[in-house]
Amino acid sequence: MAIEHLNDFLQNYFTAHSCDLLHNQDGVLTVQLTEKMDRALMNRPFYWHYVKSTGFAGEPMKLTLITNPDKRDEKGDWIHFGSPRLQQLFTHLHTNEKYTRLFQKIDTTAKLALYPWLVINIKISYVGKQKKDEIISIGLHLVNGMMKTEMMDYLKTLPLQMTISDYCFTISPLIKVSSGFKRIEAVLENYIENQTFEWADESVKTLNEEIKMLKHFYSDRMDEENLERKMEQEIDEIINRYQPHVSFRVINGGIFYLNDDPALTIQ
Amino acid sequence: MSKIQIRKDTAFIEEFQNKLENEGPFSSWELFQMNYQAEATAMTPTFNGLRALDYLPHVEFLPHQLQTAKQAIEEMNGRAILADEVGLGKTIEAGLILKEYMIRGLVKKALILVPASLVSQWAKELNEKFYIPAISYRKSYNWEQVDILISSIDTAKRSPHQEQILDINYDFVLIDEAHKLKNHKTKNYEFVRALKKKYCLLLTATPVQNRLIEIFNLVSILKPGHLGNYESFLEQYGKDRKNIKQDAFLKQLVQKVMIRNTRKGTELSNTHRNIETVWIDFTEKENAFYQELDQLTGTFQTFAKITLLREICSSREACFLSLKKMTENGTANDALYQSLMRKIEELPNHSKAEKAVEIIKQNPDEKVIIFTEYRASQLYLQWYLQQNNITSVPFRGGFKSGKKDWMKQLFKNHAQVLIATEAGGEGINLQFCNHLINYDLPWNPMRIEQRIGRIHRYGQEKDVHIYNMAIRGTVEEHIMNLLYEKINLFEQVIGNLDMILAELNITDIEAELQSIFSESTSTGEAKIKLDNLSSVIKYTHDSTVSEENQYGN
Repeated sequence: MAIEHLNDFLQNYFTAHSCDLLHNQDGVLTVQLTEKMDRALMNRPFYWHYVKSTGFAGEPMKLTLITNPDKRDEKGDWIHFGSPRLQQLFTHLHTNEKYTRLFQKIDTTAKLALYPWLVINIKISYVGKQKKDEIISIGLHLVNGMMKTEMMDYLKTLPLQMTISDYCFTISPLIKVSSGFKRIEAVLENYIENQTFEWADESVKTLNEEIKMLKHFYSDRMDEENLERKMEQEIDEIINRYQPHVSFRVINGGIFYLNDDPALTIQ
Repeated sequence: MSKIQIRKDTAFIEEFQNKLENEGPFSSWELFQMNYQAEATAMTPTFNGLRALDYLPHVEFLPHQLQTAKQAIEEMNGRAILADEVGLGKTIEAGLILKEYMIRGLVKKALILVPASLVSQWAKELNEKFYIPAISYRKSYNWEQVDILISSIDTAKRSPHQEQILDINYDFVLIDEAHKLKNHKTKNYEFVRALKKKYCLLLTATPVQNRLIEIFNLVSILKPGHLGNYESFLEQYGKDRKNIKQDAFLKQLVQKVMIRNTRKGTELSNTHRNIETVWIDFTEKENAFYQELDQLTGTFQTFAKITLLREICSSREACFLSLKKMTENGTANDALYQSLMRKIEELPNHSKAEKAVEIIKQNPDEKVIIFTEYRASQLYLQWYLQQNNITSVPFRGGFKSGKKDWMKQLFKNHAQVLIATEAGGEGINLQFCNHLINYDLPWNPMRIEQRIGRIHRYGQEKDVHIYNMAIRGTVEEHIMNLLYEKINLFEQVIGNLDMILAELNITDIEAELQSIFSESTSTGEAKIKLDNLSSVIKYTHDSTVSEENQYGN
């Protein structure tokens, strides 16, 4: 589910933040920021402080974002995957879009129950000598305990909104959110433990080798002061560098109230 | 193996429960999805490969730079000596490595220790080329506050900085000009070893200058024990550098922590340096004045005399200004100075300037850089070129960086010639230009390499033409013949000069030459001494180069 078209991504981003798109052609997008987005992105707190203190409304800036490399010399920010502006938007997303509660949108005149799902998107990092990441999206039915992976792909197919539709009502969870989260963690731990760990074994091997060399290095230096402490520090450095581990970081998550869909298969 | 350690995320669920209790605020579906998309885009799905390249589409890396970065990360696990020859882009390699670690989330806190004169250049390069938010150290900063900090080692090791720094766990430490750490008994060495660090890069063009133990000391910063302990190393290899030649095993070990690219092995050798010595004869009048200066004794200190002689080889103005300064200081005979100054004023245009104009006019469609040692000559040349309808812009080290960029742009788009003084030599890259005139030769050959390095570096697509100007029958002739040409400086020695001078225990070649001239009672004596010096340099070069080749990858 990575970003394919930067221009589309930017459009969606600014539209979702209620900014007007003034111009969008050939990979050159100009948006009119709102005050809120100007404050979030343009890094000019003094301007806003000054304007507000003089009682004026202030004038949010326009932003031109160029995704077409052929046009990168035009006036504006050239946006590519490494550009500081895009990284800034990413960071803004990471900090602000972590938690949600959404309802499936349903057009109905009969009463309809919506069931709570706990959805967790998590980044798993495997860290040894090198590092790699994996992203897993997992959903847990908080009434019957059913679990589904690739949950985001499934959710993409549903209309979702922040308020509940008319005639719909929610079923209360039988599984508490915190124990639901523990269940998801347990499944992930199990998934990790069933993998092979050549990368970790290699890392441990290197770790041991380097500690052995280090001890030999210090073997003829008994006269120096603070010897023990120095060696301990360097052993720590080696462990810090090579000790293999797996880390979990939740990207975002939330409660999704969905009308049970028979097409939803258990995995 | 034993069970793998899993580090869980406990913060999320706590905060989420708070949000549920408070009924929000919650993200809209669009933005929630976008955050997920952004993470999916930014993650690194494989252990290997340079993810940083996707983030830096505007930088064109050379194959050896990519190779070096990969090797340092994947094979050396982030602790390496980068020992490329001057001008092959060690900074680029180091920046790429740091960027890769940052993207992978392995480095947050980094300390970059470089010579004081290069701090701002490093900051600029890392920020502009790599989008790494590196900050130069300022007094008001706390070492703990800034994540990516650049400082000179002298500042860093001073109290109370040192104490603060040694308390910090760095993910990444970089030392530029690391050959200064070769002696394990120095404060600098102790300090660097004591830093708490995960990854560590040492940058130097001359990993071994004198003795084999130096490489032992450098490697011991990165990987203590890799070359054994101090005692066993000395026992096995001695203090005598010749041993490395015979020892293929040691060479192999060193290559596990050191990467060295040479000009020969990289694509840079595709563009050649055409070096031409341009001889000029003084006019009679000029010569008469030169001789008069040269004959002076007594009143002048020899040091001052040599300065004046060198200056008159550059421009009347340079010499005039020095004389004027001497009168103002009241150092000596006023009448004599006054007469010399009057005579200078009567001299015609400088023969060298005329020759420079001739060279520029022979290449009407080419950009040309002129380097001179003197501000006064720079101004004179600017005026004289203008008289000849040649457009030029000045460039000095003292310009603010905005002005430097502006002058560079002017040169690129509107002027044919850039006239730079020595201090302007560092920190400006002009690959779009491939003609360089050394209007007067610096006495330190390393500075010549720095000058040429401005245009003969990665990104240069054409052969470069270097014109070295020297006036016959003057001090310039001695320097040119006896020093530069005899040792084949431009063709061969330059890359190794640092090492050779260290070997010879010459810390400042300029001062060395100065003393040769001032301590000799006759020109003949000076010549002989110069000749001896070049012989020694040449000999040391020949005997070390073959050995140096043994290090190469």
